[in-house]
Amino acid sequence: MNVKKNHISITIGWLYPELMSTYGDRGNIFVLTKRCEWRGIHVSVLPIDFHSTINNLRSCDLVFGGGAQDRQQGILVDDLREKKGPILKKMFDRGVPGLFVCGAPQLLGHYYMTGDGKKLDGLGIFDMVSKHFGKSKPRCIGNTIGKLPDGKTIVGFENHGGRTYLGKGVKPFAKIIKGCGNNGEDGTEGAIYKNCIATYSHGPFLPKNPHIADWLIAKTLEIKYNKKIPLEPLDDSLEWQAHEAVLQRFT
Amino acid sequence: MNFRTKLAILLGKFVCFISTTFRFGAGATWPGEIALRIQPRILQILSENVKHIILVAGTNGKTTTVKMIETILAHQGWMVMHNASGANLDNGIMSAFLKKMKSTYYIFEVDEATLPNILKDLTPEIIVLTNLFRDQLDRYGEVDTIAEKWLVALSGLERQTTIIINADDPHLAFIGSKLAAKVKYFGLEDPSLFLPKMQHATDTIYCPNCGVRLTFAGVYFSHLGKWACGNCSFVPPKEDVTAKDFVSPLEGVYNTYNALAAALTAETLSISKSDIRNALTHFTPAFGRMETVVASGKRIKILLSKNPTGFNESLRTVESSPDKGPVLLVLNDRIPDGRDVSWIWDVDFEYYRNFSNYFVSGDRALDMAVRLKYAGIAAEIISDLTQAIYSLKENEVLWILPTYSAMLDVRKILTGRKIL
Repeated sequence: MNVKKNHISITIGWLYPELMSTYGDRGNIFVLTKRCEWRGIHVSVLPIDFHSTINNLRSCDLVFGGGAQDRQQGILVDDLREKKGPILKKMFDRGVPGLFVCGAPQLLGHYYMTGDGKKLDGLGIFDMVSKHFGKSKPRCIGNTIGKLPDGKTIVGFENHGGRTYLGKGVKPFAKIIKGCGNNGEDGTEGAIYKNCIATYSHGPFLPKNPHIADWLIAKTLEIKYNKKIPLEPLDDSLEWQAHEAVLQRFT
Repeated sequence: MNFRTKLAILLGKFVCFISTTFRFGAGATWPGEIALRIQPRILQILSENVKHIILVAGTNGKTTTVKMIETILAHQGWMVMHNASGANLDNGIMSAFLKKMKSTYYIFEVDEATLPNILKDLTPEIIVLTNLFRDQLDRYGEVDTIAEKWLVALSGLERQTTIIINADDPHLAFIGSKLAAKVKYFGLEDPSLFLPKMQHATDTIYCPNCGVRLTFAGVYFSHLGKWACGNCSFVPPKEDVTAKDFVSPLEGVYNTYNALAAALTAETLSISKSDIRNALTHFTPAFGRMETVVASGKRIKILLSKNPTGFNESLRTVESSPDKGPVLLVLNDRIPDGRDVSWIWDVDFEYYRNFSNYFVSGDRALDMAVRLKYAGIAAEIISDLTQAIYSLKENEVLWILPTYSAMLDVRKILTGRKIL
């Protein structure tokens, strides 16, 4: 297929934007959108919520999920698991990229065991389980730094009570250098399944990690157009200065 | 009064005297801290003999509301004491008690997380709840967590306490509907102030009672507005005062809320409407809350902006003001600001690209510059705050929008003095 640049377009599916939005989560959407637009790639952002149809969700080339407060998560979790979960699984199996921040590792795995021993079913897309240890383990709050398999760094801010343990079906997203990461024990941070990333970094993860934003965009184009489309480089000096400042201050 | 209590008061007063005399600080927290360590029950003991205690809690507007109430009460000739701005944990409240033990009226702003603990020690005559927005997630936790703790703490109060609640905040109205105490409401009731569309930074747009999406006939900002639930029996309360009754002495829609909260408090204390209106015209703003400072020929306007909703309202105020000039954003991530600066992505900078110039400074100036870049705004980074403030031309108006610790830094540079 011959793809002309001005015909390239992607649809970003934004899961429950009103409910899965706790602290600057939409920064990720802004960054993906602008970095596409600056390269002449057309973007539509499609909110996926209670009223969305199966075809709405299937039309998405990239999926984003932010963090939800407990009450908000309670409002949406059944709809997400039952009406969207199986379709999302098929999409991610097909290679559709995704980014899930904040409490995502708890939502995407097999289950989440609450502090008082209640077992809540997750979406079961990622081979991992999460557990809250009640008051015996403190909440993980603070700036984080991780190292990717290719040696590049990621920076973020975590704020979670639960701990996540990965199974064999997923790879860790990064090795944690500063902060708690998945569980504060095995040195892993987040998880990656096919082209879908789950991270405990919350809120605006992509603004200071432009390489991850571009990886997601490149994968999205590759899956959608079934071929590699090189991305034009952008001037990211400001983003990298902000990234470096975190590395210097917190290592 | 036993020896331990007497000692606590004596030492607390001594620390207060030393720190203000030798200018180590303003004596806003340490005297109370010392007294509390010697006698942990001291707040309870001292407050037993005080008839009039007024607490003000909420995410935004605490300091200004307290200062407005104080202005109205002092105008009546009453003896009034309040805690220093931001010194709103138990040690700050205790320090204010120690500073002036013979006042008749004590007005305290109380930190959101501290309110339940304070209510264990004292029974106020009036509690004002201004609003609840996302703020310092790393410190306070989620909005709903605070609301739940408040509901539990306030449920213990009886008819001798009046709770004054912002009716336009659905979550606070929900708390009000569950209480045994007397509850009074204020709200704007002014459709001319509706925003053209809902902002992104909202927290309570699903019914706190049944969980279904609320409908809004209009919003004033964030989730404050004319709301309704189409599903359950939870209905908006009837307001006791609205924007038709009083005019705010300060610019900004949020200051209208502050003025209404203060006016309703004063009415509850049997002060007449005309006295309240008259007193409010004498109001001067608190430190950094729409405060104007003149320094080397420039007028500098400081608007504390420490969370998305407050920040959006600051930007709206700058835009609608006749004073045009550059805007300096100072973003810090110290403990009083919250270590997490994610919230800047919830601020709607996209609507304010037309300001003459943006400058950024503070610990997290780079984060702010990146945020502005994605809003289509090229900001100049000036790391040195003093330089940032003084690099402006004569006769220019400079708007400074700082976070909390940045506001203290800015004021120190401008006045050469710490306020806390």
